[in-house]
Amino acid sequence: MSSRARSLLAALAVSAALGISAPRPARAADAAPITFGAILPLTGPGAVIGTEQMKGIQFALKQQNAKGGIDGHPIRVVFEDDQAKPDQAVLAFNKLVGLQHLPMIYTAYSGPSLAMAPLTARKHVLMLNAGAQSDKLAHASPYLFNTLPTTADEVGVMVKYLRAHGKSTSVVLYENDAAGIGGRDDFVREFKAAGGKILAQEPTQFGQTDYRPALLKLAAAKAQVLFVVTTAGQKSMADQLHQMNQTWLVAGTTFMEDPPTIADPNAKGIIHTQVVANASPELMAAFKKEMGAEMGFFSRQYYNATQIMFALTEHLLKEHKAITGENLRAAIFQIKTFHGLVPMTFTTNTAVVPVAINEMTGGSEKTIATGTAH
Amino acid sequence: MLALQLLVNGIVTGSALGVMAVSFALIYATTRVFHVAHAGVYTLGGYLAWTLVHRGVPDLPALVLAMAGCVVVGSLIQILLYGPLDRRGAAQLVVLIASLGALAVIQNLIAAVYSPDILEFPPNWAGHVFPLPGGLRLTGVQIATVVVDFIAFGLTLAFAHRTLLGKRIRAVASNPFLAEITRLEPRRVHVYVMAIASALVCLPGVLGPLDYGLQPYGGVTPLLTATIAMIAGGIGSLAGAFALAVAIVVLQNLALLVMPGEWSIGVTFAIFVVFMLLRPRGLFAGKA
Repeated sequence: MSSRARSLLAALAVSAALGISAPRPARAADAAPITFGAILPLTGPGAVIGTEQMKGIQFALKQQNAKGGIDGHPIRVVFEDDQAKPDQAVLAFNKLVGLQHLPMIYTAYSGPSLAMAPLTARKHVLMLNAGAQSDKLAHASPYLFNTLPTTADEVGVMVKYLRAHGKSTSVVLYENDAAGIGGRDDFVREFKAAGGKILAQEPTQFGQTDYRPALLKLAAAKAQVLFVVTTAGQKSMADQLHQMNQTWLVAGTTFMEDPPTIADPNAKGIIHTQVVANASPELMAAFKKEMGAEMGFFSRQYYNATQIMFALTEHLLKEHKAITGENLRAAIFQIKTFHGLVPMTFTTNTAVVPVAINEMTGGSEKTIATGTAH
Repeated sequence: MLALQLLVNGIVTGSALGVMAVSFALIYATTRVFHVAHAGVYTLGGYLAWTLVHRGVPDLPALVLAMAGCVVVGSLIQILLYGPLDRRGAAQLVVLIASLGALAVIQNLIAAVYSPDILEFPPNWAGHVFPLPGGLRLTGVQIATVVVDFIAFGLTLAFAHRTLLGKRIRAVASNPFLAEITRLEPRRVHVYVMAIASALVCLPGVLGPLDYGLQPYGGVTPLLTATIAMIAGGIGSLAGAFALAVAIVVLQNLALLVMPGEWSIGVTFAIFVVFMLLRPRGLFAGKA
C-alpha cells in the first residue's frame, strides 16, 4: 500500500472516530426523542386484541423511525398494561402522565377509556382511541378522540340493512360491560325506532366461551335476527350456533372481525358491520415480515391512529409549537382530514369513516353493502 | 325442549366441574392444602394436549400423555413447594399464598409460551352434532364429557373405597397424626394424592377446551365453582362434591327459565349461602 493510500486510510479512521462524515439525511437520532404512551390490555382475556393493537403501533413506529423519525426526532411509545380494567388503566395513566409527563396516550376498551377520560380533561392530555366504541366515548372528554365510529353509528348502518331486508324481530346477546351494554342499548333503540321489535336479551361475561344457555333461551323467542355485541370468543359462539341449527340471521358489529371466526365453516352466513380500514397487500406483507403476524383489524386501526399522531407531531414541529396535549388537540381540528389507511375527518371528537356490511362465507367473507357512520 | 336442553347441558358441564371438585376435595381432605394452583394444572392439561394434537398425536394418546404431564407437575408442586412448607410448619395462609404464586407462575408461563389468545383444537369429532330424541342436540365432545367424567367419578370412588392405596389415603385424611405413627407415611401419600388428582383434573382440562377453546386464565372460574361444591357437599365427601357441582350448574342453567342470565349465577350462589347457613358442614359431611 502506498504512503498516500495509508494517509488517506488514516484520515478516514480519524474522521470516523471523531464522528466527522459527509452530510447525510436526518436519522432518528439527531434530535431529542418524542415520547407518547399507550395503555392497552397486554395480559388477561383482552390481551389478544391488546397485543394486536400494540403491534400496529410498533410497526408504524419502526417504519417512521427508519425514515428518520419526524423532523429528526425519533418517536417512542411507552406501553402500559391495564388488563382491560378501569382501575389498572387509571394507575397506568397516573404513571405515564404524572411521572413521565407524556402529552398523548393511546387507549382501547370502553371501560378503561371512560375511567381515564376525566383525567385527560384535567391534565390536558390527548387520548387517541382506535379500539373502543361505547357511545359515551363520544362526549366523555374534550381530549378524547375516537378514530372508530361509536357503536351507535355502526348499529345505525346495520339496522337500516336489516329493516331493508324485511327483518322485524330480533333478540340480543351482549357482553355485560360498557362496550356490550352500550351496543345493546343502541341496537334496541335504533331497531325499535325503525319499527322493529326486540323479543329478548341475554348477557354474557367478557372472556366467556360457553354461550349455550344464553343462546338456548334466546332461540326460544323465535326471532328473525340474533344481534351479537361481544368482543371475544366468537368462534366458540359460531360453533355453538351451528349446533343449535337455528334459522335466524346472526348479525354483529366490527367486534365480529375475528380471523379464526371468519375461517370457521360454522360461521357461514353471519353478517357484521366493519369499519373500513384496508391496508395494501404490500403493507400487509411488510407487517407480517416485520411483526411475525397477520395485520389484523386492530393492528390496522392502531397503525392508522399512529399515522394521525405522526401528522399532529409534524404539524406542531413545523409551527414551532410545543408537543403538549392542548396543542395536539388543537392540531386535530386544524388538520381536520387525515390520510392514513382510510380518509378520516374530524368535525367532532369522533371521526367520520366508511362502514361496510360483510358476510362470512365459511372460510372468508365478502362485502354485501356499504354505508357511512356518523 | 328448552328446559330439557338446558338440563342436559347443565349435566354435561356439571359433570366436568364435578370431576374437578372431586380432585380438589381429594387433595384438600388429605393434605389440608387449599390447592388453588390446581386451576393451573387443569389449564396446563389442555395446553399439553393441544400441543401434542398439533404435532400429529391422535386425540386419545394426547389425552393420556397430557395426564402424565399433569401428574409430573402436580407431584412436583407437592415435592418442591407444599412438602418443604409442611416440614417447616408453615401456616395454612402461607401455603395458600404459595399456591396462588404457583398458579400465577403456571398461568403466565402458559401465556408467554402459547400467547394469551383463545386457542382452538383443530376441527375433529368433537364438533360433530348428534340429534337425539326430544329435540336434543349434543356435540361429540359433550357426549364424551358426560361419559368420561361420570366413569372417572365412579372409578375414583371405587379406588378410594376398594384399593389398598385408596384406604391408605382415607386413613391419612382421617387422622394424619395416627397415620404418621402407624407408618402410613402421610408425606408420601400426599404426593400420591397430588399425582392422582392432577391426572383426574386433566380429563375436564382437555375435554372442556375441545369444546370451548383454551385460555391461560381459564381455570380459575371452574375452580371457584368446584370449591363451592366441595364445601357445600361436605368436606371429605367425594360424592358430595360431585353431586353438588352438577346441582350448581344445572340450577344455574335452569334458572334461566325464570330470570335473566345476569341474575342466575348470583341467585344460585345465594341459595347456597342460605343452604350453608342451615347446614354449615355441607350436605354429605362425614360420608367420605
